[in-house]
Amino acid sequence: MSNKLYAPIILLLVLAFLIGPFIIIIAASLSAGETLSFPPQGLSLRWVIKVFEVESFRASFGISMFLAIGGTIAALILGIPASYALSRYKVPGAETIRTIVSSPIIVPGIIVGLALLRYFVVPFNFGILFALFLAHTALILPYAVRVVSASLTNLRSDIEEAAVLLGCSRVGAFFRVVMPNIRGGILAAFILGFVTSFNQVPVSLFLSGPGVRTLPIDMLSYMEITYDPSVAALSALLAFMSLGIVFLAERFLGFSRYV
Amino acid sequence: MFQNRAEAFALVLPAAIFAGAIFLVPVVILLSEGFRSGDSWTIQAYIDFFAQPLNQAVFLRTLKLAAMVTAASAVIGYAAAFAIVNLPPKGKGRITGLVVLPLMISPVARTYAWIVILGRTGIVNEALVAVGLSDEPIRFLFTETAVFIGLLQLFLPLMIISLISALENMPRDAVPAARVLGANWLQVFTKVILPLTKEGLVIGGTLVFTGSMTAYITPAILGGSKVLMLETLLYQRVTMANDFVSASVIALILIVMAFAANLLLKRLATARNKR
Amino acid sequence: MAIKKLMMASAALILSVTAAKAEEKTLTISVYGFAQDAFKEHLYEPFEEKCGCELVVETGNSVERLAKIEANKENPVIDLAVISMRDALSAARNGLTDKIDNSKLANFDKLYDIAKDPNGDGMSIGYTFYASSIAYRSDKVTINSWADLLSDDLAGRVALPNVTTTQGPLTLYMLGKALGDEDPSLKTPIAKVGEKKDDIVTFYVRSSQLVQLMQQEEIWAAPIGRFAWAGFSKMDMPIKWATPKEGQSGGMNVMVLTKGSKNRDLALEFMDFWLSTDIQTALAENLVDSPANKDVVVSDEVADNLTYGAETVKNLHLIPSEVALDNRENWLSQWNNKVGQ
Repeated sequence: MSNKLYAPIILLLVLAFLIGPFIIIIAASLSAGETLSFPPQGLSLRWVIKVFEVESFRASFGISMFLAIGGTIAALILGIPASYALSRYKVPGAETIRTIVSSPIIVPGIIVGLALLRYFVVPFNFGILFALFLAHTALILPYAVRVVSASLTNLRSDIEEAAVLLGCSRVGAFFRVVMPNIRGGILAAFILGFVTSFNQVPVSLFLSGPGVRTLPIDMLSYMEITYDPSVAALSALLAFMSLGIVFLAERFLGFSRYV
Repeated sequence: MFQNRAEAFALVLPAAIFAGAIFLVPVVILLSEGFRSGDSWTIQAYIDFFAQPLNQAVFLRTLKLAAMVTAASAVIGYAAAFAIVNLPPKGKGRITGLVVLPLMISPVARTYAWIVILGRTGIVNEALVAVGLSDEPIRFLFTETAVFIGLLQLFLPLMIISLISALENMPRDAVPAARVLGANWLQVFTKVILPLTKEGLVIGGTLVFTGSMTAYITPAILGGSKVLMLETLLYQRVTMANDFVSASVIALILIVMAFAANLLLKRLATARNKR
Repeated sequence: MAIKKLMMASAALILSVTAAKAEEKTLTISVYGFAQDAFKEHLYEPFEEKCGCELVVETGNSVERLAKIEANKENPVIDLAVISMRDALSAARNGLTDKIDNSKLANFDKLYDIAKDPNGDGMSIGYTFYASSIAYRSDKVTINSWADLLSDDLAGRVALPNVTTTQGPLTLYMLGKALGDEDPSLKTPIAKVGEKKDDIVTFYVRSSQLVQLMQQEEIWAAPIGRFAWAGFSKMDMPIKWATPKEGQSGGMNVMVLTKGSKNRDLALEFMDFWLSTDIQTALAENLVDSPANKDVVVSDEVADNLTYGAETVKNLHLIPSEVALDNRENWLSQWNNKVGQ
């Protein structure tokens, strides 16, 4: 009996803690008042409408989307083969490679941003958008490798060996046997990567430049002067959009089962 | 295990070279500035840094808060992940979605939401006063408690999803088998679940610890600049003083702490495994 | 399929961004992030129309943008930057700016004298001022002096700016004045704030946050710059702008030309345009920036929300740039030791 009650109670408490702030944000974005408040002071869509009226939000939204999606895909293209090799092959210096690839998680963002700007972007004179794309890909790569690795480690390797023995090519075995079984991991990596990139502040802060900046940077600079519920409304809209992407990613990755 | 080296390198090198060139080299150059003094190499900057009582206090506070957030998220994370994994598939997907949801929201907005919740007239204080636990509103905002709560909410989802994927990959019959053999829940946890999910715990723990240590916005806003942490100090050095030497010293300290946490977690997880 | 579509969309985006940059005559400017929509309407678009060129705008706070100008100094990206007076001096000392040839500025003589060359090195020109004082709940407290910020009435109900913000040193300086010590080391006021730090709700970094705290009754008073006043004046609470007996503090924002930047003539043309009476009036009437051009005439109501008029400007207690820059390190370490522990 107590076991049956345990799950709902724990989940209710944890979700209240995790989702509570989100509910506040949604409520505040529908408020008619000038500040964030809960319960909201009257209902209105004025702040939601305002989000669409701020011009710079539109441009920076496009750039953030490009970086998050493009960067995550690039990181997965680099990361999945690497994770596969690390878990299925005897790679000399595997630990070192793992550390190199996952190092971007560990270094504080401000340092990454400054270091990239001073010793990478400036000396090689990269375009702003290209530099941001490379930086975001590097930042997402650790999530791709770690999460995909974790699901590969837990996948027994004898099933693909069996597939190879039964006449499947190595590549074929990977796409038919391994990929479908790690798609949960890939999905998790995609979500983490997308979110990391989309909410990235410190690195983008230093790498963004005239005419090219990401949405969080734009929001921050908007809030330096104005803190009205439109930022809450924007955050809520973005959250719903991200959920939509997760949903699509799940459908898309779900399909791969039948490839 | 496959043995073909050429194949292995072909798969792994693009990622390694990419991360090395784009990321590691510039960061190492910047970090090396902390060891430079004119043309010679020295660790004077590190000695100077730790000689100051303020820096010691900030270092310890950062360590303490990050460790507390990691520990709390591991405990809550296991409880929640275990409950989620045992749900029917449909519910599992939905609840996992809800757990991930906060990650989609800008940390800045989440932090401001806590200002509404924890405020003098916020729901927490109103509930406390209504229930009679407190006569007047308690000041949560701009204290270490607020920073702890903010960081926990920020990083708990990372722990939960790491643990969910680890628990899911655990053989389904492991826990019932241990129960049948007479193990109590504590034994089941330490002898069965923990060893089989250590990968997830190490990943989740490292993410949470590193994230809490290097978070800038949450301590800055919820701590009201009274709760100085290393990252805040680092930001000050860069923006206020163009002081890249101190900045690189603090950065390296943070990096070493993150590696140490990662090793410690791995050690803890494997030590249990051997027993 | 989905991947293909995404890639095509990304490629299109890259192309459109590069295409936009390929236009022939462009001027790249770096400014504060606020009121960009208003600036666009009243400054950028009219200028683009006049010069037949394109403006590329970078926004952000003063120090972060300065760090980027420093990193790019070999190959400057920015032609003209708008920063604080103190950061302009810092940039000049680091060799990041060029002298401004004010003979090319038709509107130069219309400026208030202190805006003409604020740092005395010919490398910056002020385009706007702001006063700094205390916004407070007039139904809860009365504020006649900067020292009232630390009074018992306000214990647990006051926010102060962090020393790292532009407002921080201004507040400390005025507090020192009220405590009878105007020494630029700010030793007395920092020690006093450290003593009372448990009575201070927060040391804010973004003034926009204060409206929220005021609304939630976390605070009843906070020192702010006049540019942040609009948010308070809209609230349905009795909030007043204090006129302390020590006077009001304030600051000036300036324009600088980055060293070796390419579009010098265009940058000077833009500078002159921004300082012209028409543009300064338009920005003032929309409560974007207080004018540095003394020919600007606005209604009383507008003037009330700005830092306007020769008399007001003369009475601002600005902190000289050298003082702010040379003491910055010292202020920060005192602050961290007394307040940040």
